[in-house]
Amino acid sequence: MTDNLARRVLEEPATEQAIEDLHGVLDQLWLDAAFVPQLDQMAFTTAVIESASNVVQHGVPSPGATLHLGVELTVSAERLKAVISEIGAAPHDPVPDLDDLPEPSLPDEDALLEDYDESGRGLSMIRALVTTVTVERQGDTNVWVLSRDSGQD
Amino acid sequence: MEFSTQDKGRYTEVTPSGRLNMVAAPKLREVIDGVVSAGGRRIVVNLAETTFMDSSGLGALIGCLKLARQSGGDLRIAAVQPQVNMVLELTSMHRVLTPHATAEQAFPND
Repeated sequence: MTDNLARRVLEEPATEQAIEDLHGVLDQLWLDAAFVPQLDQMAFTTAVIESASNVVQHGVPSPGATLHLGVELTVSAERLKAVISEIGAAPHDPVPDLDDLPEPSLPDEDALLEDYDESGRGLSMIRALVTTVTVERQGDTNVWVLSRDSGQD
Repeated sequence: MEFSTQDKGRYTEVTPSGRLNMVAAPKLREVIDGVVSAGGRRIVVNLAETTFMDSSGLGALIGCLKLARQSGGDLRIAAVQPQVNMVLELTSMHRVLTPHATAEQAFPND
């Protein structure tokens, strides 16, 4: 078993306020886990906010349900882990594509600018920022699990 | 997130302070839209006080860059902090939004 050295949770309706609150929860986590290298803190924070924003922006509640965002953040000596739950959500349709996208073949600047796709960019950023990312259905909840190996120089 | 806008003569400087996330992104678009509508052509977004940016914030910056160029102007960024720089490089967007060290250096005398 891996010992958790720091842990923070959040659960509230999936609104913009939840994203602002989650920033505060992450700040508190890093106060408790100041030993985690800055780069790991930065990368993990970005991936967690991207995932939670995805829930708030694109999550679809099941009929009659209110969509809630649940976040559990844990830090162990070698790993940062986030479990991000879309509670009361309809199943993903389509399921987010978490396979590695082919790298764009160094498009020129005009193509970069014209082809910028915000939501696709968010998913590929998450993939690049963490070591593993999975999404699965558990009961009435879509669960994202992000983990990043940390502190290994 | 708070925004301040200052007419610097050669350019208009917009300074967002705080986190440029999905909540703040539409506000940035409004602010830049206001600058362009008022005739601002050269815009520097001073990111010295922007501690965080996600794909929504980056999307807003890209949208603002397109708007400025469509109006015959340009938008440049300055004083980028580490997390914002990480996001720019990860997405290759530093190639279209190249960070300048300071707002003053974004539009050299010409």
